[in-house]
Parts: sequence; structure tokens; C-alpha cells
Amino acid sequence: MRSFDAIIIGGGHNGLVCAAYLARAGRKVLVLERRERVGGAAMTEEVFPGFRFSVFSYVVSLLRPEIIRDLELPRHGLHILPLESTITPLENGDYLGQWNDHDQNRRELARHSLRDAEAYDEFGLMLHQMARAIKPLLGMAPPDPTSLSLANLSGMADLARHFRGLGGKRFHTLHKLLTMSSADFLDEWFENEALKATKSASGIIGTMLGPRSPGTAYVLLHHYMGELDGVFRAWGFAKGGNGSVSAAIAAAAQAAGAEIRCNAPVANVLVSRGRAKGVVLEGGEEIRAKIVVSGADPRRTFLQLVGEKHLPDEFVESIQRFRFRGSSAKVNLALGELPDFTCLPGRGAHLRGAFSISPSVAYLERAYDDAKYGEISRRPYMDIVIPSMLDPAMAPPGKHVMSIFVQYAPYHVSGGWTDARREALGDAVVDTLARYAPNLKSAILHRQVVTPADIERIVGLTEGNIFQGELSLQQMFFLRPAPSWAKYRTPLAGLYQCGAGTHPGGGVMGASGRNAARVILGAP
Amino acid sequence: MNRTVVIGGGADALVAAQMLATAGREVLVIEGANAPQAEGWVPRQVLRALKLQGLELHWPDPWISVPLPGGGRLELWRDMARSAESIRRVSARDAQRWPQFCKRMARLARFLEVLYAEPPPDPLSAGFAWRARRLGGQGLEDLLRILPMPVAELLDDWFENDALKGALGGAGVLHLLQGPRSGGTAFRLLHHHVGCPPGVFRAPRSNVLELLRRLPRVELQGAAVQRVAVQAGAVAGVLLNDGRELEASMVVSSADPRRSLLEFIEPGWLDPELVRAVRHVRRRGVSARLRVQLDRSPGFGALAIAPSLDYLERAYDDAKHGGVSRQPYVEARCDEQHRLDVHIQYAAQGADCAKLGDTVLAMLSEHWGEAVPREGELLSPQELAQTEGWPEGQAHHAELALDQVLWMRPLPELARYRTPIEGLWLCGPAMHPGAGVAGAAGFNCAREILRR
Repeated sequence: MRSFDAIIIGGGHNGLVCAAYLARAGRKVLVLERRERVGGAAMTEEVFPGFRFSVFSYVVSLLRPEIIRDLELPRHGLHILPLESTITPLENGDYLGQWNDHDQNRRELARHSLRDAEAYDEFGLMLHQMARAIKPLLGMAPPDPTSLSLANLSGMADLARHFRGLGGKRFHTLHKLLTMSSADFLDEWFENEALKATKSASGIIGTMLGPRSPGTAYVLLHHYMGELDGVFRAWGFAKGGNGSVSAAIAAAAQAAGAEIRCNAPVANVLVSRGRAKGVVLEGGEEIRAKIVVSGADPRRTFLQLVGEKHLPDEFVESIQRFRFRGSSAKVNLALGELPDFTCLPGRGAHLRGAFSISPSVAYLERAYDDAKYGEISRRPYMDIVIPSMLDPAMAPPGKHVMSIFVQYAPYHVSGGWTDARREALGDAVVDTLARYAPNLKSAILHRQVVTPADIERIVGLTEGNIFQGELSLQQMFFLRPAPSWAKYRTPLAGLYQCGAGTHPGGGVMGASGRNAARVILGAP
Repeated sequence: MNRTVVIGGGADALVAAQMLATAGREVLVIEGANAPQAEGWVPRQVLRALKLQGLELHWPDPWISVPLPGGGRLELWRDMARSAESIRRVSARDAQRWPQFCKRMARLARFLEVLYAEPPPDPLSAGFAWRARRLGGQGLEDLLRILPMPVAELLDDWFENDALKGALGGAGVLHLLQGPRSGGTAFRLLHHHVGCPPGVFRAPRSNVLELLRRLPRVELQGAAVQRVAVQAGAVAGVLLNDGRELEASMVVSSADPRRSLLEFIEPGWLDPELVRAVRHVRRRGVSARLRVQLDRSPGFGALAIAPSLDYLERAYDDAKHGGVSRQPYVEARCDEQHRLDVHIQYAAQGADCAKLGDTVLAMLSEHWGEAVPREGELLSPQELAQTEGWPEGQAHHAELALDQVLWMRPLPELARYRTPIEGLWLCGPAMHPGAGVAGAAGFNCAREILRR
């Protein structure tokens, strides 16, 4: 029987990043992926003949630049194409555009509100400073404030010093970002409803919260993190779809010596004498390793793969109350022709950017209201890109693919998810979008609707939560996924976690995988 | 002229006035027309500093009753065991968890209690870290986890019964334009728990105002302040509505910050950035009030109509979109003269409250048995702004949300009660620790003044 230094459960991007770092440090690593290909939720699939989709996760904005550098991802095939704009069609037939080009953006904003155009730069500068303040936290294993160990105390002291170094004003702004609702926060800066709604929409992605709910403001930062590092623009599209991000990381891991096995679903973690010794595959095969690292979400890892009996009661209780509540869906369309938006007719640069269906904060709140009581939003929030405009290889010549991120589609929909429900969601999305692009319905050749229940079934993300657990304040930093166990270690010796269910979580960021590898390798 | 003028006749203003007078200053209190109520716990530091005796705190007992869908009521008493007994009738599991829940919440409330009786702490100081540590591992974890939580999640973690969760959830949203599923509302449950016995989650009423008014040393005058005169960046006096001008070297205002800084002060004295920040302090009125005289006892001391968390959330939804709750959250308190004081939530500012009174009367009449209402009066948020002096109808002057508490209350620049105008201080409910703690902001403010 073969033995490894480390087994990574799950070939999602975090698992692959972790594997790559461990392999580069000379460890003998095996990645076990349940499905026939790696990538988890970051994968490309030819769903309809000739039409390729980033079925789940569809843009790149947060992938840590140090990971791109360390793993030399461009050399392994990663190529990011920038998204140039975000267009918000309005109900009156007009639109609000946000462009990467500074002057164009300013002119466009001024068309709607001079005041907002004036405030925009200052707002950007403020968020830039805040992103800088947060950035060091993304790469650290969060210290545990409830522990009295020397390492934790000095970690907390470092943290206090870091925040102190920001100065009072920035610290207070950070406090506001962490505790306010995105709508309230933006109300202090802007007056245009479409601008506020489109910006606040980033704060609700993946959560069961509305833009008026406190705790949604800090996600505004995420859009500035990418920009900050100057590697690529805040939003980008990976050539070949998001599967090529995973493929590049997998190639880097393999080049460093990691072994990747697909079609190898793990049934459970092998535990003996209070220690993880390896895994048992569903076929019964046992594979042993010095350590096991799980890229699966906390509930799946601890309650399914490990089992309650091997874990302390208090910890099990923390994991049980860790909230998932997936709220996002995807609709992938194969189109015979390009959508023709009433607000910006014909072809143009705008089709190479994103479209946001978020005409007002009240619109988003109403979408949330439906979901709160277990219904699909009648008029959902949507974030739309047409990848074939950036990478023609995604669709047959002259044809196109459209990726629509949809919220809210609650996992706990009343009556449960059925085929009829799935189609109802697809209809709500297409009907809503057709109000802004009337030729859409006749342009559709094929339609794929991915509900939170589908995400759970296919990718294995509990309750279809795209962040492996809600990114709410009470589930972040040293509380992610459980108090005292946020440092990638677990109560079971030899078992580590590297998924987005750990700090900092969420998005195709890779930071959890990298941080976990650093902890395993004993980095300070 | 070394006189200090204190603006307002509430507990905060009177405590500040008494503290300053005790320290030897000449103090004049200018009271407005409205008679504020003393709602909330009174820190013992205040009692000790002013040697106040004879304080009576009133909680109805049970402190809350909730009608149950199948008839009967869930009653929560000051006696924890008695509450558990009542809860047992709806859920054995919840009854079993009640004492533990009360214990955990009481520990956090005690931590806040200490913070509330002094100026806001510096969150990054070693001293604050040390005090937080003394909560113990579990306590600290609870504090950090619970503060940002929606009260609905906290209650869902602990309990299963809707009526119980509704009754407790109400405390999370009192006077706040948020629903129980909004973040930061769990903190509100704790806020209203501070100073209460374990298992009681509503602030008491007290006679503290009468006691304060009875104290000597301070002159009280009924008038309204129009302007605070400023010379060379320092307070010079106060201009009253009746045209009188009073000289003063110090003004301590319990009015809300926007009024104190943007209305009392001539424009131009303040940094535009501060002016902008003051305008952004959120203080949206959300509640209406109904006062009803009944001919006999309604058979309850305090009754809440909040059958579930979803009920509260739906009530919020209506106001979120600018209206009045079709089915409002209602909390009625009855005194010995059978006067009902009914808190109604939500009514967005400017919304049409015409039918609200009848809606609420109809809801309550199902629960007051044979009693007959003699007369009643409904006050909309706008009317409450007039009668109670609540800015925009907001009882807390500045919403008690996580970005407007402690060192952020009402703004970081003003959190230590001082303003950029030399001699002008703030002491009202908009200041730390905020409404629901009678006199604490005044006490903290006076101590800051005297420290200098």
C-alpha cells in the first residue's frame, strides 16, 4: 500500500492551491477528486455541443496575486481577460454605465448625478485605503482571542498594532464597513439609486441578507482588492472559462510533483487512536497519509467524512450551527444571436462587459423579501456576462454563451426544489432579462438552470452555498468555521481544513488553500 | 460669567447638571415643553455620585405576556423558574434551555453594564482587551459572535417556539428600522437586558426623574433654546426663544447632535466634514404610540403581539418600503389607573398612520377581556417628534446600531461628549451608552467635563 505525506480531499481551487504549495515544499501529495475532473465550482464544461460554460463560478476577481506569482500560473495556462464595464439597464429605458476608463466613467456618472461623479474618486480612494488595511489579514491564520497561549496573545497584539497603525479615522471607517449595511454606507456617499444598487449588490452575493441588512458593507471592499494589486483589473474572465483557473493550478501542482486522482470519492476519513491516518474511498480502497487536508466545506468534512463520534461535542455543535443557506443560482444560455439591449442597442464595447440587473436598492430588497419567506425572487438580481464576446472559443462561430448569476434562489425554497421549480426560476430570469433585451427569448437555443440544490448535488457544496458557508460577520475570521479552530487545524490530530469554509473564505481567491499550506508547513 | 447651561429636562441632562453643581459650578437647566419619561435602568454609579435614595424600578410581573395561537398566554416572569414553567407548556426543550440562555446573556449584559457607566473605551487598548478577556473564553466568544448577529439567528440557535422567539425578538428591533433577520439586532437584545435581572429583557421604568428634580442646587427654567452663541470658537451664551439672552461659558446639551451642532450653532463654526458626518447620523423614526384609557384592568401588565420572528420581519418589510406595518408589532403596558401605553412598530416616517389606531385597537381588544376603551390617542412618528422631542420620531436620537455604539456613538469625533466648540458638550441619548440607560450619558459627560 502506498503512503503519502498529505492527502487533499477535493480538487477545488483551494485544495489544488494547497496541494501545489505542499508539493513545492517537497511533500508527497495526493489530491482526491470525487468528480471526473478537478475544479470543484471553478470548472468549464461543454454543456451543449459547441457551447462551453463556466457552469458555476464565472469571473475572477480575487485570486491572490501572490498565488499567481508563486505558482507561476500564467506559465501553466492562466490568461485573464479584463471585463471593461458594468452596465445597469434602468426601468425607464436608460442605463447607468461604470467603465474602467476613468474619464469615460466620470462623464457617464455626471450624466446621472454631478454630485456622485464628484464623490466617486474620493470613494474609490477610501475603499482603496480600506482594502490595504484588510489585505494583511487575508494572508494570516487568524489568532484566537479566547486563547491565552503566547502565540495567540502575540497575534492579537500584532493585530491591535496593525489597526492602531491605521490611525483613528481609517480604523473608524473600517468599523463602519464591517458593521453597516451596504445601502446605508453608500447613502453617505451617493444619491443615484442605480449606482447604489449596483455597488451594494456585491455585498449580498452568496448571502441570505438584503442590501439594507447590517454586515453587507464590507464586501464592497472585495471589488477593490483585485485592483489594488495591479495584477489585473478588479473583474476578469479567464480565457477558456473558470475551469482554466483550476487547470492552471492543477498543472502547477502536478509540475511540483503532486498526484491528482479524479473519480475518487472519499467515503470517510480514517481515524485511529484519535488521529487522522488517511482516507477510505467509496470503493473501499484505503489510502494512508501522515496528514489529511479537507477542501470540503465544514459540515461535509466534520459531520460526514469524519463523524461526530471522533469530535468534541462543543465543536460539533459549532459546526451544526454554522450557516450555509445557499441563495444563488446560475442560468447559462446558449444564444443564436447577441442580446440587443433596449438601452444600448446593437453591438458595442458594452457587450464585452458585465450587465447588472439592479435598478434600485428597493428592487434588490424586494428580491430579498421573496426569498426570506422561502420563495424565488419574482424579479431577481442578476449579474450577466457574455464570455463568448471575450473568448470566441466558448461558442460556435456566430453564436454566443451567456452566464447569468441569479439571486435570490433560496436553498430552503418552500416545497423543496423540483424540476418545475427549476424551470420556474429559469422563466423568471429570462422574463426579467427580456424586459431589457427583448430579442433574448427568440435568441435562446439552450438553457441550463443551476439551483442551489444542483450546486450541492453536483459540486458538493452544502446547501449550495457558494462560499462554503455564509460570509457574515459572526462566521468570519477567528469564528470561521468554529471558534478556536479557525487556524486550519481541527480537533482531530492530523486533519486540516483548506476550503473556503475557513478564513478568509469565499470567491476564487485561493487564500484559504495557501494559508492552510503555510500552517501545515509550519510557516510563522 | 462662569455659568453652565444644561439643555433639556431628561434624566441625562439632570444628572449632568447635578454632577456639575455638586462640583461647585453654577448650573441652570433649560427644560423644553415636553415631559420626558425615565425609561431604563439607572447605573448604581449615578445613584452613588448623587446620593440618590428611594429609587424604585418598575417592571410588570410577568414582564411580558404573549398570546398563544391556541389561546392562553406565554408569560415571562422575573422569576426564571416560573418563566421556565410557562415555557414548558409550549416547549419542554425551550424550557430546559431557558436558564442556560439567561445565564449566558446575563454574563454579557454585565460586561456591557460596566462599559455603560463610563466613557466609551478605546477598542485597541490593552486595558480594554484585558477586561474583555475577563469574560472568560466562552464569554468572549459569545460576545464577539453574538454582537454582529441577527437576533433571529441567536434565538433560532437556542429555541424552537415561535411565541417565545417573537417576544424576545421584539427587544432586538425596538425603535430600530431593521427586522429580526438583520445583523446587529442580537446586540439590541443585550442592550435592553443591561441592568435587568437575569431572564428579563425589557428596560424598567423608574421614578429617577422625580428624584432628580427634587434635588437642590440646580435652577430649572422652562424655555426653549434657539441658539448657542459662540465667540472666538468658544461658547458665550444661550439665546432663548422668548428673546432672552443668557451668558454662559459652558453649554451641556441633551438635544440630539444634529440639533445641538447644526441648529443651535451658527453655521461656519464647524468643519464641513464634521457637518457632513453629523448629517449622516441615522435617526429614522419607526414607531407610533397609542394611549388608551380603559375602564378596568385589561388583565395584563405588559402584553406583546409578536407571534413569531417572521411576523416581526413582515412588519418590518412594510416599513422598509416606506409604509406602515399592515400587521404591526405591538407592545402594551398598563398602569394602575388602567392607562394603556402602546408601542407600535413599524411606521415609517411620513407614512399614513390614519388607520393604524383602529388596527391596533382591534388587535388589542381581543386580549383585554371585558375592558372598554374610554378615550385614546394615536401619535405618529411625526407627532412623537413634536410631543416627545424625538428627532424624526426616533426615540434613541441616534439609532442604536453597531456602527453607532460605543466609540462610534454618535460619531467617533464626538464620542467623548466634547465638541469642537470650546465649552459645548453633548449628553443626550445619542451619546454613549444611549437610550435605555437613564442618566448614564449625562453622568459620563459630566465626568469628562470635570476631568479637565
